[in-house]
Amino acid sequence: MPRWITTAAAITALGVISPAVQAEPLKIAIIESLSGPQTSTGRLIATAAEYVIDQANADGGFNGEAIQVKEYDNAGDTSGAATKFREAAADGAHVIIQGASSAIGGQVTEDVRKHNIRNPDNPIIYINVGAEAMELRGKKCHFHAFHFTTTAPYRTVPLMQVMSEQGDLGKRVYSINQNYSWGRDMETAIVDNADRFDYQVVDKVLHEVNRIQDFSPFVARIKSENPDSVITGNWSNDLLLLMKAVGDANLDITFGTIFMDQPGNVANAGNVAEGHYVAHSSNIELLDEAGTEAYRKATGHYPVFIEPTTLNGVGLFAEALKKVNFDGGDIDVNEIAKAMENTTFDNGLGGMHVRKADHQAVIPIVVSQVARDVKYPVDGTELGFKPIKTVAGEDAIYPAQDSCRMRRPE
Amino acid sequence: MEFLIVSTLNGVIYGMLLFMVSAGLTLIFGMMGVLNFAHASFYMLGAYFAYTLSGLFNFWVGLIVAPLLVAIIGMFIERYMLRRVHAHGHAHELLLTFGLVFIFEELIKLFYGDFPVNYQRPDYLNFAIFNLFGTDYPFYRVFIGLVALLMFIVLFVLLTRTRVGMVVRAAERLPDTARALGHNVPMVFLGVFGAGAALAGLSGAVAGAFFPTNPNMALELGVIVFVVVVVGGLGSLAGSLIASLLIGVFSSFAVGLDWSLASLFGLIGLGDWANGLGGLVTMPLSSISATVPFLLMLIVLLVRPAGLMGSKN
Repeated sequence: MPRWITTAAAITALGVISPAVQAEPLKIAIIESLSGPQTSTGRLIATAAEYVIDQANADGGFNGEAIQVKEYDNAGDTSGAATKFREAAADGAHVIIQGASSAIGGQVTEDVRKHNIRNPDNPIIYINVGAEAMELRGKKCHFHAFHFTTTAPYRTVPLMQVMSEQGDLGKRVYSINQNYSWGRDMETAIVDNADRFDYQVVDKVLHEVNRIQDFSPFVARIKSENPDSVITGNWSNDLLLLMKAVGDANLDITFGTIFMDQPGNVANAGNVAEGHYVAHSSNIELLDEAGTEAYRKATGHYPVFIEPTTLNGVGLFAEALKKVNFDGGDIDVNEIAKAMENTTFDNGLGGMHVRKADHQAVIPIVVSQVARDVKYPVDGTELGFKPIKTVAGEDAIYPAQDSCRMRRPE
Repeated sequence: MEFLIVSTLNGVIYGMLLFMVSAGLTLIFGMMGVLNFAHASFYMLGAYFAYTLSGLFNFWVGLIVAPLLVAIIGMFIERYMLRRVHAHGHAHELLLTFGLVFIFEELIKLFYGDFPVNYQRPDYLNFAIFNLFGTDYPFYRVFIGLVALLMFIVLFVLLTRTRVGMVVRAAERLPDTARALGHNVPMVFLGVFGAGAALAGLSGAVAGAFFPTNPNMALELGVIVFVVVVVGGLGSLAGSLIASLLIGVFSSFAVGLDWSLASLFGLIGLGDWANGLGGLVTMPLSSISATVPFLLMLIVLLVRPAGLMGSKN
């Protein structure tokens, strides 16, 4: 159910009074999977995004008004997202935040692009905090889309680099991924970096997404190649079941993963998870304690999984808002977009900014290992994510794709 | 040889799991004619109840009490929902249970959260039963297979060799005659539905500790369970068992075999040409292993429309 969050009371309490009655409030639409199988991701994104906006409102809002946030439930599919996009546009949204699923991301970014062509005076910004497909930064890139999450090569290179430095990558690498755009991007990244980190891809498998209950046949196949490590972009059940199946067979293989930090993974995998790697865009162990405690106080839990990415992305957006001033008049979305291009935001691990060529955020990548001696154990276990190394964004990022031809407004 | 043995073993155990979940569905359809879409939701409820109970008491209490709780929910649904729409025909029963799927899914999220819960088997069940070509084989997989086998034997004997089974079959085949002979037919149906739900609950309690217990588990298994029932022949218990094993073994072998259409062309010397085509032609079988059950269903429906053991062939 959509819900406008007004913090007008908080603002009045702080003594900030709206200068003009006519001021246009900034409207943000969160179009997320708030029901259906992807709720676990969508809900976290909405929580983190609202946390940042609430803080911005506590600091006085924008344009003399509280920033308005409204949740739209896309129910986890593209047609739902398209419907909700039309609703949000009709409600006068200036900004759309979305993250769960690249397929939905593709739908939203295209809808935004078409809307902006038809309504050049009333454009919308798309803030992508979770869709990792390369295509969104390539063929589908456009001026009003900002990508604050990484992509397959962006995470794979630091992951491989650190695993190789730690001596856990080995010479024989097994690639197993999901058979859709993301998994294919991962497989390409794993194959492409073989010479750089001196390994051999002994076998590569693509399997269906979240359809397989029993991974033991895949374990039999992995075992026959005798790999040192398995690199996978699998998420949710596909990662959990794969790890458990390998653990049950008692094979000594190190996993290099992208989504190990999804809540529930470590608890369900148990001790099997220990020693495996994950490459993520932030690690709570490295963050300032005051910030993480404040987050826990407001939301009931520490920032995990996709929440830090969302906090960073929406955080940069909120920072950019401080650079534009419409004096309580009409909001010019293009000005905000330009300000976002020129904003540097400290995400606690270093500065992050947006690359102008394709609007991919340049963010540092943390490579962590599941270990016992951590400050923040997860899922009620003794295990947590011990940061091994932070790789600077400039060293990790992939080159902008030629397929991105961005047309900028004058 | 190693491939053959390991794949067969993996396939058979997975097949037994599928049978365990679909047995209740077969029972309900075979004896009542109700196509229960919410069956996999009962499976999920079983896993979650067992999770809660194993936290409060222990694993075995969960294993025994969870199916009973699910049976009570099942009987409630039969008595107060399904029976009301029964007169309107199968479509209404189907739609009703279809709606229940979503309600159960969101209810579970409401009470247990969006993420998988930490439902684990006890440590003393966590050992390797034997070592096969250098790979440990977990005991719990064998345990799942044994529970399924036991379930089949009990059900089969109960339905075909006892008085209870006779009454149940009579109530399904000739409800009016059964009623005339003094049997309480609605009560029989209530019991059958409860038993079917309990079977799903039991399989959830057993399998949930091996696979993750999460709000999507009904969705993940829901479709495949229907495939099992259709391939086996609607309502046939033995058919379900055969279909489950077929699907399990075929899926398992499909993963290990890197066959593609291109390799088929290779046999007649057109391999290079086919590989050059790319796309679907070079897609290895392992990438579409989860599609194997549906392919099997298609073939069975074309050849034997009533399923392998269906009575109307």
